[in-house]
Amino acid sequence: MKILVLVKQVPETDSLAIDPETGTVVRSEATSIVNPLDLYALEAALAIKDTRAEARITALSMGPPAAAVALKEAVAMGCDDAVLVTGREFAGADTWATARTLAAAIRRLGPFDLVFCGEKATDGDTGQVGPEVAAFLDLPVVTYAGAVELRDGPGGLVVRAERVSEDCGQIVECAAPLVLSFCKAVGEPRLPLLAGKKRAHDLAPRLLGLAELGLPAEEAGSRGSPTRVVRIASPRLTRETESLDARSEEGAEAACRRIVELLAEKGLVVPKDGAGREGRVKP
Amino acid sequence: MDFAPITDRIADELSRIVGPKNLIFRDAERLEPYSHDETAEREYAAMPEAVVKPGSTAEVSRIMALASRERIPVTPRGAGSGLSGGCVPQFGGVVLSLERMNRILELDLDNLVVVAQPGVVTNTINEALKKDGLMFAGYPMSLETCFLGGNVAENAGGGKAVKYGVTSRYVVGLEVVLPSGEVLRLGGKLRKDVTGYDLVRLLVGSEGTLAVVTEVTLTLLPVPKRRAVLLASFPDVPSAIGAVPRIVREARVVPTSVEYMDRASVLASCAYLNERIPYERAGAMLLIEVDGESEEEVFRAYARIGEICEARGADPVYVADNRTTMERIWNVRRNIAEAFKVRSPRQSLEDVVVPIAAIPAFMEGLAAIQAEYGAEIPCYGHAGDGNLHATVVKPAAWGEEEWHGKLAELLGKLYRLTHELGGRISGEHGIGNKRKRYIGIDLDPATLALMRRVKAAFDPAGILNPGKIFPDGA
Repeated sequence: MKILVLVKQVPETDSLAIDPETGTVVRSEATSIVNPLDLYALEAALAIKDTRAEARITALSMGPPAAAVALKEAVAMGCDDAVLVTGREFAGADTWATARTLAAAIRRLGPFDLVFCGEKATDGDTGQVGPEVAAFLDLPVVTYAGAVELRDGPGGLVVRAERVSEDCGQIVECAAPLVLSFCKAVGEPRLPLLAGKKRAHDLAPRLLGLAELGLPAEEAGSRGSPTRVVRIASPRLTRETESLDARSEEGAEAACRRIVELLAEKGLVVPKDGAGREGRVKP
Repeated sequence: MDFAPITDRIADELSRIVGPKNLIFRDAERLEPYSHDETAEREYAAMPEAVVKPGSTAEVSRIMALASRERIPVTPRGAGSGLSGGCVPQFGGVVLSLERMNRILELDLDNLVVVAQPGVVTNTINEALKKDGLMFAGYPMSLETCFLGGNVAENAGGGKAVKYGVTSRYVVGLEVVLPSGEVLRLGGKLRKDVTGYDLVRLLVGSEGTLAVVTEVTLTLLPVPKRRAVLLASFPDVPSAIGAVPRIVREARVVPTSVEYMDRASVLASCAYLNERIPYERAGAMLLIEVDGESEEEVFRAYARIGEICEARGADPVYVADNRTTMERIWNVRRNIAEAFKVRSPRQSLEDVVVPIAAIPAFMEGLAAIQAEYGAEIPCYGHAGDGNLHATVVKPAAWGEEEWHGKLAELLGKLYRLTHELGGRISGEHGIGNKRKRYIGIDLDPATLALMRRVKAAFDPAGILNPGKIFPDGA
């Protein structure tokens, strides 16, 4: 059985810096990690390998050479191979061009019984690439999967997946090949083992460029992207906030009075002897 | 002890020094939080008569002068996160809380030092230094709540002492107020200073019994660029413990941390955290952190240490090298005390320290004590520096009285075992009032007599934090 897992390298959120001029992420200052939601796709694939030793897992990513970090972590967790689609021609791709490129790579590397991906990436937050890859590959897609079970039916491999949404669960069965996107219901991803880390350290991901994919240049990267970013802006703060300095005892008292006052305005508390009326702190 | 009570007249005088808002007097409800620290056993608690919260060194000085004149005991207090009853007002009197003296006074990057007041929460120092890529390398496990002043008073250690040492390594200057009210400035922004006796070193770890610290100068280090954490699961205690001296001797790298967790600690913490790693079959675990300048350097370090663990039977050995996974592993270690508290609130958290090579012998002795008393004594801690938190948990079958009697006897045995192995009864928590009756196990009469003379030289009237360290409560 062959499983392909799509992974993306994203900046670690606590080391993020935003360029105040452009409103974009300053990537050079951020530590790179595997997109946290892709870890659930990896875990789902590795859990299958735990019970089906013959399963081979390939991790695939598109990105700059530095994206090898994410692929190495995937290998450290237990993936067998890693492939990186990289080259200047792929830069500036929107979800459409990214999905088209990844689909071309999957065709080139395949066939795969299962293509796994995370729900979405924590940087772009679109959740589009997985289903678009399925569309380009003309495969069925099951989104928001939690637990999956495999069984060998008369016509081949059948996947039974539990889909999880805000208000309901759904059990779906689908014949392979198919694309699945996973959510946190998969369970906590495994930690890499030392042996895996050592293997990943010595491994260079296989690189694929435009030529190997047989993709025309106008279909990749920014040239192949119908999306145009017109403007990037930080969202305006629509909530009105007020800071209360409670570091000193006086400040704490004033802050408490203000909180009581605000809660009283909303009718959530009834202040005793009008305590909420005094000691107003200016926003 | 011959101390005077705090009268209304004295309370008025205190109020004039710190302002009425910063005095708590005759208000049991507000005094109570100042009667104890984090020591689980409430028998070490004692109520203060008054709490004062000075805002400046001058105010501290006036409080001390007043207390000296009136023979009022004064107990300095930081965040109250201590584990030896060090800030407990044993004889009542005044608790001198340094919570309002909470400013970082100076970040002096040219001299690579920070000057801060004792009420600063330790972690905020590193938050303030983050943008400059610098750190104060002290790392008490309570760093998000404890105060710098408490770290200095107890010479706090923690989880990174293997590589970075304990608080005293970084304290180069102190401003202190003597019990008489005199203000001394000791040391400075200096890496070398042999001008007279090293009083800075004497005061760090003196448990607030010699002087009140009002300002601290700390040296800084660059923050290492890369970190990684190993979690190695061993089949049994001897294989885990035996790996520690081998790591120290053979790995040719100084790990940042080498933390040990026995099976009971691992089970309690992992269950408490709903951790998914296969911990059920672990006999004991080591958590080892390394840091360095490059990914390659850190990889080589953890690969070598991990191989030593594997050679001693560790399987699996997990590796975490990003924030999320490192936090996940450290959480297992950090939540042990909390997990045990949930299971049994009656326990005695110890912090004995032995030479690293004596850890296996200590563990054997500990197992014998457990068997003798039929009490569970889970053990975890900083194996890399021999500092182990053996935690005696009250068996359900023991009544309160039986617990008190047997605990004292058991602790006596535990401490004598420690001493015979070349160790000491406290590595980082301090003696306080909790362990004072056992100090004679470690210190001979001549040493104790000298320490008493030191105490008397600083505090002739015996008003500063009385009832600590010395067995007769002096």
